[in-house]
Amino acid sequence: MKGTYLGEFEEVVLLAVAIRSGDAYGATVVTEIEQQMKRSVNLGAVHSALNRLGEKGLVTSELGGMTAERGGRRKRLYSVTAAGRRALEEIRQVRNQMWESIPNTIWM
Amino acid sequence: MKSRWAKYLIRWFFAPHRADELEDDLDELFQQRVELIGLRQARWRYVRDVISLMRPSLMRPSLLKQQLTNEYPQPFFLTPTMISNYVKIAWRNLMRAKGYASLNIAGLAVGMAASALIFLWIQSELTYDRFYTKTDRLFQVYNRDIFSGNAQVWGTTPKPLAPALKQDYPDIEDAIRFRPTGFLLTAGDKKLNSEGAYADPSFLNLFDFSLLAGNREKVLSGNNGIVITKALAEKLFGTTDALGKVVQLDHKNSFSVTGILDDLPTNTQFSDVSFLLPWTAFVTPSWDSDGWASNNNYTFVLLKDKVNSDLVDEKIKRLTANHLKGVVEDVTNRQIFLHPASQWHLYSKQENGQLTEGKIVTVRLFGIIAALILLIAAVNFINLSTARSEKRAKEVGVRKVAGAQKSALIFQFISESVLLTFLSGILALLLIVLCIPTFNDVTGKQLSLSFGSISFWGAALAFVLFTGLLAGSYPAFYLANFQPVKVMKGISQSVHAVFSPRKGLVIAQFTFAIVLIIATLVIKHQINYAQNRESGYDRNNLLFSYLSGDLPDHYGSLQQELIQRGAAVAVSKSLGPITTISSRQWGLSWPGSTKADKDIEFDRFAADADFLKTTGTKLIAGREIDVRQYPTDSSAVLLNETAVKTMHLKTPIGATVSFDNRNWQVIGVVKDFIFASPYEAINPVLVHGPKGSVPLSWTSIRLNPANTTAQNLELAEAVFKKYNPGYPFEYTFADESYKAKFADEQRTSLLTSLFTGLTIFISCLGLFGLAAYTAQQRTKEIGVRKVLGASIPSIIGLLTKDFIQLLVIAFVIGAPIGWYAMDQWLQDYNYRIAIGAGVFVLTLLSSLVIVMLTVSFQAIKAALVNPVRSLRSE
Repeated sequence: MKGTYLGEFEEVVLLAVAIRSGDAYGATVVTEIEQQMKRSVNLGAVHSALNRLGEKGLVTSELGGMTAERGGRRKRLYSVTAAGRRALEEIRQVRNQMWESIPNTIWM
Repeated sequence: MKSRWAKYLIRWFFAPHRADELEDDLDELFQQRVELIGLRQARWRYVRDVISLMRPSLMRPSLLKQQLTNEYPQPFFLTPTMISNYVKIAWRNLMRAKGYASLNIAGLAVGMAASALIFLWIQSELTYDRFYTKTDRLFQVYNRDIFSGNAQVWGTTPKPLAPALKQDYPDIEDAIRFRPTGFLLTAGDKKLNSEGAYADPSFLNLFDFSLLAGNREKVLSGNNGIVITKALAEKLFGTTDALGKVVQLDHKNSFSVTGILDDLPTNTQFSDVSFLLPWTAFVTPSWDSDGWASNNNYTFVLLKDKVNSDLVDEKIKRLTANHLKGVVEDVTNRQIFLHPASQWHLYSKQENGQLTEGKIVTVRLFGIIAALILLIAAVNFINLSTARSEKRAKEVGVRKVAGAQKSALIFQFISESVLLTFLSGILALLLIVLCIPTFNDVTGKQLSLSFGSISFWGAALAFVLFTGLLAGSYPAFYLANFQPVKVMKGISQSVHAVFSPRKGLVIAQFTFAIVLIIATLVIKHQINYAQNRESGYDRNNLLFSYLSGDLPDHYGSLQQELIQRGAAVAVSKSLGPITTISSRQWGLSWPGSTKADKDIEFDRFAADADFLKTTGTKLIAGREIDVRQYPTDSSAVLLNETAVKTMHLKTPIGATVSFDNRNWQVIGVVKDFIFASPYEAINPVLVHGPKGSVPLSWTSIRLNPANTTAQNLELAEAVFKKYNPGYPFEYTFADESYKAKFADEQRTSLLTSLFTGLTIFISCLGLFGLAAYTAQQRTKEIGVRKVLGASIPSIIGLLTKDFIQLLVIAFVIGAPIGWYAMDQWLQDYNYRIAIGAGVFVLTLLSSLVIVMLTVSFQAIKAALVNPVRSLRSE
């Protein structure tokens, strides 16, 4: 396949990062996915996916500022890069295209 | 809240810059989930998350080092080709250094053989009485009571106990009576004195010894059936096919053989039993009542499955006491309890009314010694290998440069030492086979190697592997750690370090040897000391015989004829042999005695006449018992010096002593003589005339010194046969049974000497190798010194100095340990030596001599080498 291939889980994680933009880190991504998809997700899987997305250049991370709520420690905040956004849009576009190609008759 | 292990795991596993963040994520999710799904579920998810985080991408870089640095894949080092390569290299190295290899193999072989023998012994001790299918449910009943303030336990029980236990306690599946006995067995013209026992019918159900013929349930239920062992059947009938044949006991009752037992294993307390008789055939002798007051039998109990013996103990505790109320004066402290089969052999030492650790202490001690001997052999191996390491250093360097991994090198060196150990193992097996008969003689066991069983070979292989790893691991790691850059440049490890592990190990070896040498010397001294103690009677030419069969009826004629025919100069009828205590008596009273004096225990002996003349004991005052001349002497009594002292009698002669419900007249005082153990203080002794409650069923005979022993015995046998034709003439010499009192100590002495010898031998092998190595390494130095004018003795001194130093250090460590251990050992003996300085001087001197002899051979060799030869190469 040409370009960057996104796995299903990677796609979900990427979406979650986008949803939580500005507040996306391991734990929030996990809760976001769990709430949206009503399924339990392993933290390790999420971090692994974030890593891979980072390697592919679809997310970047930076160490956020300290907050009292996090016990004074810094957290790694993820954000979707331009490439990431393009990848999501491409997927969405492909999906839409495919939806539209379904002949109406089969639903009858 | 969260588990601590997870925190450590995270810290260890993750890259530090990620750990904080991951931990925070975990915390936050946990908090949320506690509210959402509850604490337990949240915890569970926490664990799952931690595990799911274990991914290479998050791993600490150092854990990934190998993967990062190795750009080319490493071939796996355990391929068949590589293994055969290791073996080949190992073999070549062996062949290249034959002397070194044979030292190593010999040392290991001797060490392995010795420790394997000891382990065999330990195994036989540990399996003692533990191999019955119902072992965990088998118990022996013991009594406990307090006598004059001392709690005591004993294993003989009243006759009605077993039936009562079986009937009244549902927890108890079965209870049997058991009573050892001895008879003269006659079958046709074969006569044999034999040890056996009476037992209830279910004996063979409790103790499942294998029955070769007969019905297990029924063999002991008749009235006149006898079960005999295979060995006894062969002796009596010449065949094991003996069912139904007739055996006569003591020329009286006849029994027919109802069962043949396979010979009993040696590691059971029943190993002496060679026949079993039904309990119903047992006739109670006059002095042994059928009631609850007489303790003369053993009671064995089989508990029901899953019954707690402590609870049973609690229930049966007062059983005998309740039956003894009104019969025995004070039963408030009398108890009975169960002693489990698994502890009969190893945990049966009485202490303050408890049965505690007994032989298990010896077993542990032997275990430690075996381990130490093996360790010493391994230490030799380690020392020789590391000493020789420089020879192998280049090889290590080349292998490493060529890309060998450390693990591969370690594996190579370990496989080399395992190969060596394997060769030693074969040699050790040979040694064991050669030594086992002697070892069995010394330990009184029947150990053997079961070559047929797979588990034996498995154990042997495991032992070899274990020894190989023990000896080979340290050298392997040591060698594999060499830095290629250094060894290829020729930089050697420092040889003259103030403290090297090698020196420490040599000191440890020497220390062990020194402790053992001290032990050997002290034990030998102690035995000599006791052997030289005045026994108080003349042990030569004195023998004892039990008055069996018709002899008690013809005793007068027997005695007269023995003297008339010239076989003996004096004959005396007595309670037992003078070398053992046959009876004890307390509850005596005499003029001036107090109530407390009733608790004093007297050793009791009885004789009719000529007691002094026969035994050679010395009279101090008064005269001796002679019922032939003075019939009233049958209630006369002699005291020994200790008795007079204990009783505070100013004028003992003529005093009246009461015991056995009778008054006895003191007619003489004898010099103290050793009745019991030559290591113990002498007890007060009573020698009384025949009128007491004890039977005089032995005769002591003072042989005629004018004849040879053989002539005397021949004459005596003729007389005995004349009056007692049905029985063989059996006798014991006093000097032999006196010697037997030292048997235990002699055995200990022999074993310690053996261990000491082995330890010294193995240590010397190692020392020999080390000395050779040092000498070789310093060849050039010695050459230079000689050229510059050093004398040969000074060079020998140079080479031996180091070893002497180590020995002295070991002595300083070992001497106090040895002193302490032996002082503890001596505490068991009342009559004992004090450990003097002589022992330590002797130890130091002898070990110095040994070390010098071992080392100087190499030193002299090195010193005599012509310097031209050693220096030629430069």
